Amino acid sequence: MNSTVLSTEQGSAGRHARLLEARTAVNDILLGKDNQVGLAFCCLLARGHLLIEDVPGVGKTTLAHALARVIGSDYQRIQFTSDLLPADILGVSIYKRDKDEFEFHPGPIFSQVILVDEVNRATPKTQSALLEGMAEGQVTIESTTHILPSPFFVMATQNPLDLVGTYPLPDSQLDRFLLSFSLGYPDPAEERRLLTTEDRARMLDRTSALLNPDDIRALQEDCEKVHVSENLLDYIQALLQETRDDRWFETGLSPRAGLALLRASRSLAFLENRDFVTPEDVKTVFPALARHRLSPTSGFSQSPEEQINELLAQVPIP
Amino acid sequence: MNGPGKKTTVWLIATLLLAMLPQLVSMPPAVLVAALAPLLWRIGSEFNGWKPLPPWIRHGATALGLIALFMSYHDLSGRRAAVSLLSVMLALKMVECYRIRDARLVVCFSLFLCATQYLFSQGVLMPFYGGATTILAMVTLTQLQRSEAWAHDTGPPPAKTSLLSELGFSFRLMAFAVPVGLAFFIFFPRLASPLWGIPDSTLDSKSGLSDSMSPGSIQNLFMDDSPAFRAEFFGAVPAASQLYWRGPVFWRFDGKTWKGGFYGRNIDAAEIPDPGENAWDYTIQLEPNERNWLFALDYPASIPPDSRLTLDFQLIRRQPVIQLFKYGIISNPDFMDAPELSSPIRLQALDLPDESNPRTRELVERWRQETPGDAEFVQRALQYFNQEPFHYSLEAPLLGANSVDEFLFDTRTGYCEHYASSFAVMMRMAGIPTRVVTGYQGGWYSGLGNYILVRQSDAHAWTEVWFSGRGWTRVDPTAAVSPLRVQQGSLGALNASRHLFDYSWLRGLRNSVDVVQQQWNDWVIEYGANRQAQLFAPFGLDRMSPAMLVSALFIALALFSVIIFPIVLRIKGPGRKDPIQQAWRTFLQRLERAGIATLPSDGAIEVAATASRRLPGDSETIYRIAHLYTRSRYAPVAPPFGELNQAIHEFRPKKKSA
Repeated sequence: MNSTVLSTEQGSAGRHARLLEARTAVNDILLGKDNQVGLAFCCLLARGHLLIEDVPGVGKTTLAHALARVIGSDYQRIQFTSDLLPADILGVSIYKRDKDEFEFHPGPIFSQVILVDEVNRATPKTQSALLEGMAEGQVTIESTTHILPSPFFVMATQNPLDLVGTYPLPDSQLDRFLLSFSLGYPDPAEERRLLTTEDRARMLDRTSALLNPDDIRALQEDCEKVHVSENLLDYIQALLQETRDDRWFETGLSPRAGLALLRASRSLAFLENRDFVTPEDVKTVFPALARHRLSPTSGFSQSPEEQINELLAQVPIP
Repeated sequence: MNGPGKKTTVWLIATLLLAMLPQLVSMPPAVLVAALAPLLWRIGSEFNGWKPLPPWIRHGATALGLIALFMSYHDLSGRRAAVSLLSVMLALKMVECYRIRDARLVVCFSLFLCATQYLFSQGVLMPFYGGATTILAMVTLTQLQRSEAWAHDTGPPPAKTSLLSELGFSFRLMAFAVPVGLAFFIFFPRLASPLWGIPDSTLDSKSGLSDSMSPGSIQNLFMDDSPAFRAEFFGAVPAASQLYWRGPVFWRFDGKTWKGGFYGRNIDAAEIPDPGENAWDYTIQLEPNERNWLFALDYPASIPPDSRLTLDFQLIRRQPVIQLFKYGIISNPDFMDAPELSSPIRLQALDLPDESNPRTRELVERWRQETPGDAEFVQRALQYFNQEPFHYSLEAPLLGANSVDEFLFDTRTGYCEHYASSFAVMMRMAGIPTRVVTGYQGGWYSGLGNYILVRQSDAHAWTEVWFSGRGWTRVDPTAAVSPLRVQQGSLGALNASRHLFDYSWLRGLRNSVDVVQQQWNDWVIEYGANRQAQLFAPFGLDRMSPAMLVSALFIALALFSVIIFPIVLRIKGPGRKDPIQQAWRTFLQRLERAGIATLPSDGAIEVAATASRRLPGDSETIYRIAHLYTRSRYAPVAPPFGELNQAIHEFRPKKKSA
């Protein structure tokens, strides 16, 4: 499987090699989280945005930081608080007396990689300012439209909803995130390595960019060329159909979510250096894709993750 | 324009040929050429790449074919001529059949052509012939369908299909149709009289006894082993020596040939015999012979429907027997025929051509002086046949103008018609009224079916002599020459083999197998309104109206559909036909036997991961298979199927003990 050559171009193969190097570098910093790191890269390649949901201190910020470092993009971190205003994200126009005009000062959203910490701590007004930018790839301030840079990759972290002082994101806005996962505690062996090896912050500083924005754009285009067979589409449709069965969830996955699933699966296949999507790719991205989009039917004692895994086990692979 | 392709064309021609086969056998030579030449040209054109013929040649060929038909049949309205016309036209169609639509048309008409053969034969083998043709036609249709489907599609190359799978598919389709056909056969309302008749005359050579008898005419029948009729007795079966099945009766002799006389006149109703005390009650299943005679033992005491009984006790049907005809009849063996002989009949029974056979006349006159009594004279003549060196043989020499003289004094070798004819002439010369009777003698008793099978080879000729006070009395001169003929039948009397494949064990086998044909005739060919009623009688339905029958038919069809449709759907289900999926299933089964369970929702690589953990030794093979399968299913370019198939079939996981 690994013998596949995606394209005859030398540049393409080189790009891909550097992509894998970047992933390895992030894995070295974030020990024992290969799967999540893979999904994060997958999200980036699929032009999506990432939602990391977990308790503080498990490495959310480190992941975002490492990712931004290796992909060599300019990076901003925004800490959401309850008194944050939309202008704090988007930027403001300030009157310049000497020029007798307003000058636009772009906010932190005008970066290629943004880490939004604790996205559910801000008020809905501020949240929607961010999410609109994520969806449209542009922001409109005082009737002027500003195009956001490319690549544009938002990683948001979120505290579990039962913590005090949060504003849960509405379903329609959760849909803007392509994938979401939690990092979880490291397993004992990895934790021991974490405790004994050098400081992560210093490692981060030392990490150099392995890719550049042009590479990312090219890689994103390469992903779209990954082949999807009829058999695989059958499987995706079967999965979507199953989520719409009301014994599982309140509402099923939308066609937009289906498109997202296909995009994410393609990116994962590309990341694995394959020129076609397999059902395993779909199965790997599906929980991350469905978790924040589906709410279990009330009265179910299972967690959404358990529900999703059970659903996957119910759908035969054609 | 996409054509059927070489292979399919060969199938098409094979279908057409098989559908034509029974017709080809009976075609006159010119028509045979017209039917085969276009097919030969087409085969040649497929294999040598000949160009399609220009229209004027095609039209010319059609005209030639029509001329050949007209020259051979003179009239295209008969059954044979019409079917030959269809055959020739279909063969000619092959010359211009380069499109799938045309090919499909030829297949459908071939099926129709095959069905027309039921006009000529409804034997027990016909359904097999029809089935074989249908299966061939299905294979051809399947191939046509496939070539058409690929014509518009640049998709994946056609899957390699084996002949066996195509035949199997056709067979399955046929099998689904069988219950439906059966339902139609059983329940379709039967009419007492058919809506349309089969045309009476055909150009087939008529089989069986003819309306005249000359030396050699019965001898020819001896070569024919086809069944003439079957007789089923209610009660005891008469002895072989009593089984004289009476047919045409001859009165007029022209020196060589015997011809009919009185069968134009019917017997008076009052004269029809009573059944009597020793009556035989039996049913006769008469094979179609395209003649009017019905056969019965002496003397018929009942008259089958649509038939008449003549003054000399010939049973004559108003229409020729062109389909299997079954009739019941009662015979009275003790009946005395014509105690008084009217003078016109006596004259007719003594009539001989003048001045013929002088030596016989001399002999008869000498005897007559020595033996005045009629009965004694008959005995003397029979003794003469018995004691002089007469031979009962098939190899009778040709006879000249004075045929009786030559036979009695020179050749002395002949078949039953020689003896009957000579004897009758001698009797008439002696002034004893005599007539010649032809028919069948004996038959083969089938213990299995409890019936007597009479073949054409049992044809026989004998005489009837009128004695004052005893009426017409049967005298069989052949019995005097060769008593075996009457006791053992014609084949027992002759030791010689008639042809290359004439063995007694083969004849025995054929006689035994005939019971199948007899049952077929009884239950299938003769299945009419009565049989239908008989079949439903146990259910308390004495006589079902057509409406009830049709309802029953549809209920039966609905029931069959309930059974059949799930089967059809299962067969058509996806994945079943996909060789990749089948190979993968084999792989999963082998894993399962090795104790590794997988879920349908497991992807190939997940399966491989599970299996490798359990079978670390085979890990490499397992992953290789999983990757090949994944590529086959999901990659833009699939690896060759053979590689996957081989890998899977060579994969033999060792069962884990414990």
